[in-house]
Amino acid sequence: MTTLSLPSSAPLLRPRNRYVAGLLTWRGVTGLVLVGVVALAGLLAPWLTDADPDAQGAQALAGPSGAHPLGTDDIGRDLLSRILHGILTDLSIILTAVPAGALIGAALALLAATSRAADLVVQRLFDLVLSFPGLILGLAVTAILGPGRWPVVIIIALAEVPYFGRQLRAGVLVQREREYALAARVGGAGRARVLLRHVLPNAVDPLIVQGAVALSVGVFIEGALSFLGLGVRPPQPTLGSLISGSVAYLDTDPLLAAAPLAVTTALVLGFTLLAEALNRGARS
Amino acid sequence: MNAFSAGSGGPLSLPAISRRALLRGSLAGAGLLALSACRSAADSSPGADAASGGAASPRRGGVLTVGVGVDFTPALLFAQSANSLLQRLVFNTLTRYDEQLRPQPELAKSWEVAPDGLSVTLKLREDVTFHSGRKFTADDVVFAVKNLQNPVRSAQLRSTALTVTDFRKNGDFELTLVLAHPVSNLFDLFEFMIVPDSESVEDAVAGTKLIGTGPFTFTERKPGSSLSFARNEKYWNPGRPYLDGVEIKVIPQAETLLSSVKTGQTHLTYAVRGKDVATLKDDKRFRITQYDTGAGAFYIGANLSFPEVQDKRVRQAIAWAIDRDRLVQQALGGYATVSSVPWPKSSPAYREEDAKRYHHDPEKAKALLKEAGVTSLSLPLAHQSDAGSTAVAQILQYDLKQVGIEVQLQPVDSPTMQKQLISQSMPALWTLSHSFSQAHPATLAVSAYPFNEAKNTSKFSSPAYTEAVQRAWNRSDADSPEAKALYQQVTDILLDEQFIVDLAIAGLVEVAGAQVRGVTLNKYSYLNLDDAYLAG
Repeated sequence: MTTLSLPSSAPLLRPRNRYVAGLLTWRGVTGLVLVGVVALAGLLAPWLTDADPDAQGAQALAGPSGAHPLGTDDIGRDLLSRILHGILTDLSIILTAVPAGALIGAALALLAATSRAADLVVQRLFDLVLSFPGLILGLAVTAILGPGRWPVVIIIALAEVPYFGRQLRAGVLVQREREYALAARVGGAGRARVLLRHVLPNAVDPLIVQGAVALSVGVFIEGALSFLGLGVRPPQPTLGSLISGSVAYLDTDPLLAAAPLAVTTALVLGFTLLAEALNRGARS
Repeated sequence: MNAFSAGSGGPLSLPAISRRALLRGSLAGAGLLALSACRSAADSSPGADAASGGAASPRRGGVLTVGVGVDFTPALLFAQSANSLLQRLVFNTLTRYDEQLRPQPELAKSWEVAPDGLSVTLKLREDVTFHSGRKFTADDVVFAVKNLQNPVRSAQLRSTALTVTDFRKNGDFELTLVLAHPVSNLFDLFEFMIVPDSESVEDAVAGTKLIGTGPFTFTERKPGSSLSFARNEKYWNPGRPYLDGVEIKVIPQAETLLSSVKTGQTHLTYAVRGKDVATLKDDKRFRITQYDTGAGAFYIGANLSFPEVQDKRVRQAIAWAIDRDRLVQQALGGYATVSSVPWPKSSPAYREEDAKRYHHDPEKAKALLKEAGVTSLSLPLAHQSDAGSTAVAQILQYDLKQVGIEVQLQPVDSPTMQKQLISQSMPALWTLSHSFSQAHPATLAVSAYPFNEAKNTSKFSSPAYTEAVQRAWNRSDADSPEAKALYQQVTDILLDEQFIVDLAIAGLVEVAGAQVRGVTLNKYSYLNLDDAYLAG
């Protein structure tokens, strides 16, 4: 509210418009379509297929048929149903983990803005997390917590914290030296109030782009962890575990790998295009 | 080609070649290269060799490459660990079984068991030397037995080794082993016990030096990667081995191992999963052989310290709930036999009606659970985290869910699983495969961790089980009607108590390139390459 009354309030609305403009480019539309179609397929899974994704049958590695439009996997489960429910699992994981990572990263960035000592500690903390390659971080967390849905959420969130934190810290460092922030301080506002009410709302915009990037990275991390057997526990399907389970049949049943791979590619590509569109929109 | 060889004087000759000639020459060169590639492919093509017939005389030379999924653990050299392929390459045993479990001579030329079963006299070969050059004598057999008696060695046949209470030497090559009581599985011990060099045994368990009397000398170990062996030129078996050497490559990923086999980089392996073997069985480049050695009797174990599985009706319900046929077809590629008992068909304890006792009957399972007063049951099931074991676990989870038992899968890495098995710290249920049922039945019940009557992973004990096992073990004969009646008592208790729910018996499956000949395994899966060779 305060920001709207300050001289810098005019350009505040413009970036948001630019994001919308960015989304209306071919990149944005393609990204939206790809993510939208995949997400809708996942959300409508119970209506798109009657088959229980966990129900096993005698027909293993069966080809496409009326009963099983994409065939069955190695223990007789309907592949289409597992892919659709796998999308739902993946979306629920990344839509929990990425906002959590963003919130923690933002909180740490704000903490860093309070003093030089806090800044030093938070920066080194980010360095520490970034020094672990994603896979090693995943192995370390699953070594402690064991494989499962929540460890995957924690790994994705943890991996994203430094990126969100650094983005916001950079924004805060710029915004807090702006005239409106100085004016607020001169007007008697406390450090916390200036930071939360004035600086923060003007520094969060880059996080929108970072969010789209993080969602694509989240899909990728889930896939990698499940591929290594460190992800969500079976029989719950995820896109990564479906790809992992299909590797042994690449020669004989390529559809088993191709179908989840296509969906994963569409999802990652969609989020990447969205991130790029938002980024270009913001810079235009 | 000619242009370049003629032009060895340098680039001066090149301008003399027209572009067309160069192009033609390049095409000819490419053609030659392709032909030579085809030729080398044909040379290494097992299919071509197989087509030429398998009766070729043994060929000397070549290095056989063996692919394994698990690295050699030196500390478990005497324990029969997951990787037991190298034991018979470097070492020998006293005797070896034929397919009918009749002992055949190896380091022992002949033997005589006393009529009361309380001693056995061995006559040893006199022409055997260790790789170090030292002569093999009766003292080495004494050392080998004492070595297995040492608890540090974690030998699963330690209980049988401990029955040897005295050693009486008659010269350097005759030895009498005095036993505390008769045992029916004495020759299982002789099949199992490798004879190491007493002077370097500590180096052997440290993995730095392996000295035995076997057909190959140990040359190099790259932990996690490979083990190399060279022909023992002074091997006691005349003219053997044919091979110049052996390389054991460690390839933990099942898919990578499969690719290695398909591309011919690995000649021989026993680590391809059953369902992958099914994809190779029609390929003439490979020969698939099933061994009746107990590499894998798949089972569900129940830890009786958990109250949920203390009622045997619950465990019997689990036995009725599993669709073993589907498990064998879908998870094991058909390379196994459904079975409710641990015994393979070659075992004297095997009876078909026992093997078929439990089959897929969900209604019977539900009725038993109801009878036991169980309305809802939720249990953890530990399984190895590799893809093959996960598939098995998922099938078990689904089948148990159909009768009202909710199962949470707990993936565990293989070394941790072994540790839990030995330390009796499994959750309420676990699934794994066991061996030790391939030799004499008593060996399973006094040695294998899941079945050992004195101390087993299930923490099951009963006076009846102990008595039946001890009576079956404490006798000198293994195949008489009386012995078989005792095995039947053990089997009946196992079938009734179901602390181990046996599902399927899968022997080792050998996948070999068609040029690989003469490979055999002993009953403890020791690889015997005395007569092996790579056909032309």
